[in-house]
Amino acid sequence: MPQTDRSLALRTALALRPLLGDGATGTQLQELGLAPGACGELWNTQFPDRIRRVHRRYFEAGADLLTTNTFGGTSFVLESHGVTGRVAELNYAAARLAREIAGDRAWVLGDLGPFGGLLEPLGDTPPELAAAAFRAQADALLAGGADALLVETMSDPAEAALAVQAAKAAGADLVFATFTFQKTAVGYRTMMGTTAAAAVAAVVAAGADLVGANCGTALSLADYAHLTAELVAAAGALPVIVQPNAGSPRLVDGRISYAESAAQFAAAAPHLLAAGARLVGGCCGSTPAHIAALAPIVKAPSRPFPHPQPASITLA
Amino acid sequence: MAELTELTTAVATGQRAATLRLTQELLAAGHTPSSLVERALVPGMAIVGEQFKRNEIFVPEMLIAARAMKEALKILEPLLIAAGIKPKYTVIIGTVQGDLHDIGKNLISMMWRGAGFAVVDLGTNVSAERYLAAALEHQARLIGLSALLTTTMPAMKETVRVLKAAGVPHLRVVVGGAPITQQFADEIGADGYAADAGSAVELAHRLLAPAA
Repeated sequence: MPQTDRSLALRTALALRPLLGDGATGTQLQELGLAPGACGELWNTQFPDRIRRVHRRYFEAGADLLTTNTFGGTSFVLESHGVTGRVAELNYAAARLAREIAGDRAWVLGDLGPFGGLLEPLGDTPPELAAAAFRAQADALLAGGADALLVETMSDPAEAALAVQAAKAAGADLVFATFTFQKTAVGYRTMMGTTAAAAVAAVVAAGADLVGANCGTALSLADYAHLTAELVAAAGALPVIVQPNAGSPRLVDGRISYAESAAQFAAAAPHLLAAGARLVGGCCGSTPAHIAALAPIVKAPSRPFPHPQPASITLA
Repeated sequence: MAELTELTTAVATGQRAATLRLTQELLAAGHTPSSLVERALVPGMAIVGEQFKRNEIFVPEMLIAARAMKEALKILEPLLIAAGIKPKYTVIIGTVQGDLHDIGKNLISMMWRGAGFAVVDLGTNVSAERYLAAALEHQARLIGLSALLTTTMPAMKETVRVLKAAGVPHLRVVVGGAPITQQFADEIGADGYAADAGSAVELAHRLLAPAA
């Protein structure tokens, strides 16, 4: 199926039913032997079979969308690992791998994470350099076969907007943008103090088609339901995506373990959907088991949309 | 005539130009560099830390205040050095091995500097041996370990173990970072945990205070 047809099918599916995202990539790669803190994007060419294995596990768990292994795929993050001149190669390879497993049976979400620094005037990075880095990554992900691009784990609305604009300029038909929130005395805020409403407004103005939250610091699944309601209120007609962590990490017998079980994820899912989430997946610590537990709930064909304007997505 | 409290306010609200002007005016009026640091900059950054802790301000406001403070220190530090005045405490900070994230670490570093400490910032991806060597070289009393990645939490545990096993007298090790909790800090035997950059200053003061 050509990319434009798949993208139209994705828009259609989003209008018809809630979709199921996949779970964490990084923690899965560590299980397959990635050293703590090592550059996981190198595995897209070095150990493609391991990346395929992670995608296949999520596909078999029922994920409608597979996220590329490119969270740290900007030149900025790759260079911090000493990897230079390989943005196009590693991001293209990653999209190809996800595409191989997804075929025409699932969609491929090309992943763009934060570039790792702070933009001027607060930090030292000129916005045009960050924009160029996001653009180069977006170009390669789309060339490799991504159906849509996901700008995620953002704290700074200015950075998120840059990435969304770059993704759109690269030709992405659908761009998702999600922020990472923490619970503060004055409500859910990003590290930069941005509210859900302000975060959503920034990326909508930049052209995002879906908005939401992923990751988050010390947010419980109940917090996630409240946050979802805030995001839905801010998003208006746009669908909302939520991808929670599997709780906060703990060290158990020298290994990192996450508090929220697959069963707890499943128990939380109806609340996320009731709050208006249209795409549910998982972030850090979530596994194929978490996604499999979500599948029957998120993908239940009879589930009516609680959202009052379910058909508001325009079919291009 | 300019007052010390004006400088405190200028720093706390991140007014860089006013901070610069007031620093020069107060020096010209006869205030010593160390009194400007102790009676204006440190209280100004303490206000910032408190507001940050209470979620009245966030990272951008803290960065802007720290930048104003740095403007004042650019003038004051050479004068302090020329006068042979050294900060009372030297502290070490860095992000643990395997972790390249530095935004949180830099915030703590700025706030500790704002508390009047000499801060030796080792950067990111710091091995236990490098922390230890720096602590010995600088006769530091406190080491701050930062981690953002959950996957580098074991490296934090190992670093605490190595530093504790070295048995350096009076050396305390504190930890922080998005995935870190008080419970984790207790489990790995750290001397303290701070949830945010404001609390990190209080924690440092508490641990560095001479035993009563």
